[in-house]
Amino acid sequence: MSNVEKIEVDALVVGSGIAGLQSALDLADQGYSVAIVEKNPSIGGKMISLSKVFPTLDCASCITTPRMASVSHHPRITTLTYSTVDAIKRENGVFTAAVTRKPRYIDEKECISCKRCEDVCPVYLPDEYEQGMGAKKTISIPFTNAIPQYPVMHPEHCIRCGACARACPKDCIEFLQEPAPVEIKAKAVILATGYETTPMTAKKQYGLGELPNVISPMAAERLLAPHGPYGRVLRPSDGMVPGSIAYVQCAGSRDKSIGVPYCSRVCCMYAIKQAILLSGSLPIADITIYYMDIRAFGKGYEQFYNNARAMGINFVKAKVARISEDEKHNPILRIERQEGTSAPEEVKHELVVLSQGLVPACDVSGYGLGSENNDFGFVKLSDETVSSAVTAGAGVFAAGTVKGPRDIPDSVVDAGSAAMEAVSYIRKL
Amino acid sequence: MADVKKLAEQLKKLNELRGPVPQELRDRVAAQNKAQKAILDALKDGPKTVPELAAAAGLPHDRALWYVAGLRKYGRLADVPGKGDYPKYELKGSEAK
Repeated sequence: MSNVEKIEVDALVVGSGIAGLQSALDLADQGYSVAIVEKNPSIGGKMISLSKVFPTLDCASCITTPRMASVSHHPRITTLTYSTVDAIKRENGVFTAAVTRKPRYIDEKECISCKRCEDVCPVYLPDEYEQGMGAKKTISIPFTNAIPQYPVMHPEHCIRCGACARACPKDCIEFLQEPAPVEIKAKAVILATGYETTPMTAKKQYGLGELPNVISPMAAERLLAPHGPYGRVLRPSDGMVPGSIAYVQCAGSRDKSIGVPYCSRVCCMYAIKQAILLSGSLPIADITIYYMDIRAFGKGYEQFYNNARAMGINFVKAKVARISEDEKHNPILRIERQEGTSAPEEVKHELVVLSQGLVPACDVSGYGLGSENNDFGFVKLSDETVSSAVTAGAGVFAAGTVKGPRDIPDSVVDAGSAAMEAVSYIRKL
Repeated sequence: MADVKKLAEQLKKLNELRGPVPQELRDRVAAQNKAQKAILDALKDGPKTVPELAAAAGLPHDRALWYVAGLRKYGRLADVPGKGDYPKYELKGSEAK
């Protein structure tokens, strides 16, 4: 194991979404060294793939990209992307993390991000960044504003034609690259592993993800993004501009049948935000939000909701019992209204977005650091009334949605809190 | 540019380590090339919508859209400005005559 890369820092941040980035920057700007580990090929987390943020409608990447660049260029931050934290142990007050750098199959020191390998690669794949709606190549840079701008090769889809290697001006394609172990020693750990959305397959009644025009909110974000998969809002079944779009609220929250009885806090607002953006992109489209109750609890959120109503977005208090489709893949919603007549009725739309809930992305209790999970798998704080970051594990702090659903401003504030708690802990050592 | 000898050695070793390229992958790439060629050929007659391209290429509409998205991303076709339920696409750059 003599070739294990060793890194020694004051704090280890696991996850590089907006909370992880902010924690790392707050620590590094106070003079502490940080290693930030991200499992994906780029830092930026979920936020970098969003179109805009609520309630200001600021461009999401305009907020995230400067933080990504600051982290990437900060002299006290070591960034490990496309790397997994396999284990963390704590001995004599020092954390030792075993990390694996996954192979990108390129020489990162030589690569100049010219993209010639991607241009000549002949194999197209569904692009997970575009929620499968767009395409990428077997070797490709993850997305336009990814940091770092290194391509990643997916060897299981490689036909070994060698075109990428022949096109590379720096001769940096390495077909035989292996995973590389890294050992990180740190005095404190900040967990910022974020969330995933409840899967499209969660509810049989909503089509199990098999109805092409019933899409996830992350897919809707990509449709709305200026550099999204189609460059405009089209429905995935046939490339039609949808004239009637519906949102189904609480499609993955407040639902004991799928094990998510809690409110995910952000779904009402992201649905309203997307509805407002859609009404801008498609001025003549009918947009309907089927909801149980609207939870607009943050600063400016109620105003945002009222603006959406004033813009003509239909808010229908109803439960959606079932979604099916007609022969043209138009989704048909069977609804029961909660106001006025409650007789079940069927309503046809051309595109439906399921407002999925938030679930933990990673079971961090598996690291055995003493931090505990709550009943739903999110990290439990030792005393929420005293600190929003301290867990039961000594030297282990939590930032952002790893603790439970919350919006972006709360995640950023949380991240600062986690950084301050970590500094306080490190200074006492 | 790559050292031809080094590349050949790497690919040979890769074949030894992982075995030959799976037939399923070869078939998938062949189907992809055929579909993309059919779409690009159909566009030589002028701009078309996704359903028109799907009909010309013998593809399901959703697959045709996926290929169009890929070809658009990599600069082989472009959107045609205009209104309507179905946007039209046209050949771009060296693909266009």
